[in-house]
Amino acid sequence: MSGRRAGYAAWLLLAAILYFFENSAGTRIILACSAVLPLVPAIRRGFFAPARKAARQAAVLPAVSAREEDAPGDVRPYQPGDPPGRVHWKLSAKRDTLLVRQPIPETVPAPGERALSPAAKSKGDAPRGLALWGAGVPLLCALLLFTLPQANQGARALCNRLFAASEAVNAYAYDRLPGADERMIPAAAALLAIAGIALAAVTVLSRSRLLPLGVMAACTAFQAYFGLALPGWISVPLYAALALLAARNPRARQSLLQAGAAVLAVAALILLLWPGVDPATESASERLRDWLSPTAQGAAGALPEAPESQTEVRRAHVRSLLEGDQAARPLQEYRLAAREEQQVSKPHWIDYLRIVLLLLLAVAVVILPFLPFLALNARRKRALENRRAFQSADVNAAVCAIFQQVAAQLEIMGYGDGGLPYRAWGQSLCPGLPRDYAQRFDACAALFEQAAYGAHPLAEPQRRQALDLLEETRQLLWNRADLQHRLRLALAHGLEGLCE
Amino acid sequence: MRPELEAVAQEIEKVIAGKREAIEKLLTALLAGGHVLLDDVPGVGKTTLAAALGRAVGLSCRRIQFTPDVLPSDIVGFSMYDRERGDFTYRPGMLHGANLVLGDEINRASSKTQSALLEAMEEGQVTVDGNTYPLADPFLVVATQNSVGAAGTQLLPYAQMDRFLMRLRLGYPDFAAQMAMLRARQNAQPMEQVACVLRLEALRAMQQEARAVTAREPILDYITRLAMASREHPALQIGISPRGALFLDRAAKARACLEGRDYVTGTDVQAVFCDVCAHRVLLSEEAQAAGTGTEQVLRGLLKTVQSPDRHSPLGGILKK
Repeated sequence: MSGRRAGYAAWLLLAAILYFFENSAGTRIILACSAVLPLVPAIRRGFFAPARKAARQAAVLPAVSAREEDAPGDVRPYQPGDPPGRVHWKLSAKRDTLLVRQPIPETVPAPGERALSPAAKSKGDAPRGLALWGAGVPLLCALLLFTLPQANQGARALCNRLFAASEAVNAYAYDRLPGADERMIPAAAALLAIAGIALAAVTVLSRSRLLPLGVMAACTAFQAYFGLALPGWISVPLYAALALLAARNPRARQSLLQAGAAVLAVAALILLLWPGVDPATESASERLRDWLSPTAQGAAGALPEAPESQTEVRRAHVRSLLEGDQAARPLQEYRLAAREEQQVSKPHWIDYLRIVLLLLLAVAVVILPFLPFLALNARRKRALENRRAFQSADVNAAVCAIFQQVAAQLEIMGYGDGGLPYRAWGQSLCPGLPRDYAQRFDACAALFEQAAYGAHPLAEPQRRQALDLLEETRQLLWNRADLQHRLRLALAHGLEGLCE
Repeated sequence: MRPELEAVAQEIEKVIAGKREAIEKLLTALLAGGHVLLDDVPGVGKTTLAAALGRAVGLSCRRIQFTPDVLPSDIVGFSMYDRERGDFTYRPGMLHGANLVLGDEINRASSKTQSALLEAMEEGQVTVDGNTYPLADPFLVVATQNSVGAAGTQLLPYAQMDRFLMRLRLGYPDFAAQMAMLRARQNAQPMEQVACVLRLEALRAMQQEARAVTAREPILDYITRLAMASREHPALQIGISPRGALFLDRAAKARACLEGRDYVTGTDVQAVFCDVCAHRVLLSEEAQAAGTGTEQVLRGLLKTVQSPDRHSPLGGILKK
């Protein structure tokens, strides 16, 4: 509960910062809505409702929690149609009016079921895998945006258009990103759309409330950093949708209606009473921004002229080039001066990031074609190692290894049941494999158990028996396998079967 | 199954048809020297099963029908003033000299009587007025309780259920078994046909053997993993206790001995797991609300926890 309040306070702060830097009707509406919406009772109940765990406990243990619910905050007056079982009799008697306990929101989908059976567990894991994918897709899009020159240009052009559409009046905000080539805008827009859709899908599917809040915060930070305010007709629905995703409780139609009405009222009020830019806030934010970022000043053209010495060096270099004089010293000095100039106009870390990304890409490109061979060779080595164990001096260990090899081959072909002990496999072999083979397998499984768990050492004949079974299994399975399974069988056997 | 125990099982089957599995489990408990709680609806043969076992093994059998007014002194004995000797003399209770005590409807006894019996089960001896009296060896308690019509009774609390090695459920016989039973009772009293086929000494020797069965490292590892997994299972409020793990080991050894082996395998552990553990774990409220059964959860555990065959650190597990 307190965490949620802290998060709300942090959000308010963020919205206030956004408003301060980009004051306009749109940001004002966002700030006002953030402040006003929790006053709507339905939303307050949904958003500041008891945490999930508490709700579950309350649902399970009504008798215990009844005492805790004596706090007057959790009851409301009786309305016709409320089930009588929910009436808080004790408190009702004290206050002399009928009071009912707050119905616990049924947000937790059958908590007991989720982790019970392995099947349900895998179902619960699916959103996690999806979340991984969903995180991967936006990352990939971002990588492509950074590395593909056309997409990069397109993104810049897109940003410039956004700047142009911005409601902000900061002079230096417009056309800040150089080198826009507008032809590739569709590519950049498609990449951004894919990333956005992936993020939205992940948010809806994983039921994470952190993600939309994060996107909201990122959006806000982005706007504040670039000195950009989206037009009201974009930003208000965007934030409203994100807030809806974050609130987790949008199922109650009543609260939805109330929230929509509240947003509309606030927006209309602000558009009527206080439209446009507030000059006082604007100048204050301008001052702060100027004070904060000398680079922005540089971009706005306020950079001082290059010192006399540097221009002198540059002239000398040009002269030396023209005259064919290969003097090293002026060249070096020129480079130093040029670097200093670059550092003023562009932060260094962007270069480093690009270098690291390119390096990673290069490493991946170099390694990828070899990966299958590396994996194949490692598996072959392991298989040969296993086969060496077949001849080990300790017959018990050898029988174990041989039998496990048999089981592994059967598993490759889809026989057997991984969870069960080998002794119980006999039945599952029968429909696919001959009955007498299943019997020999059973006998050998008993031998395996003796080897693995018994205290007596086994002798050579038993090793022979196990090896015979292995050979028989191999022949049997080889004849039934298709090409793919043959490859896997051969791999399990150290690639020897391929020659047959 | 060992031939001598096979004979015992066949004798018992004369009176209880179609309950081979339950008989094997009961014999396992007998070999392990652990006590058994038969928990089922009335009339499925709980008492008959115990009585037949007593006859077939030649155990001296005693039966206590528990009612709310059975007192602790009735079962552990009491001291009485002897006027002629001017001294207190000890009068032995029901438990003394009996190898097999059949505690019928233990849930009808008052809780202090229950606890007196459970103490005797745990210690194998009773203490009255500061004097300790040993009980017969072997000493096996087969307690029955039925959860139907349990109004006004005291179901055993979880802490006390933990003392029983196994809780068995008999269940109804199938069609053929029911027919066989009706046919057998037409003109004879089958209980009288049950002969004593196992001497007490032989049973003691077999119990010794069961204790000496080897459980190697992978098996102990498996039992530990099962216990740990049950403690972390979301559907279980209380998992398998350390005593539960010890009992599981004991029961698995007895089962191996029953099969005529001197080493425990993963199959043994799996075979006794549900009966040894079902009464030791407590479902969480969510699982109860979802209608999940304890057995279902335990079977799920057997599926998810890798069997020692695959997991075995011994014998060079195959590298995949």
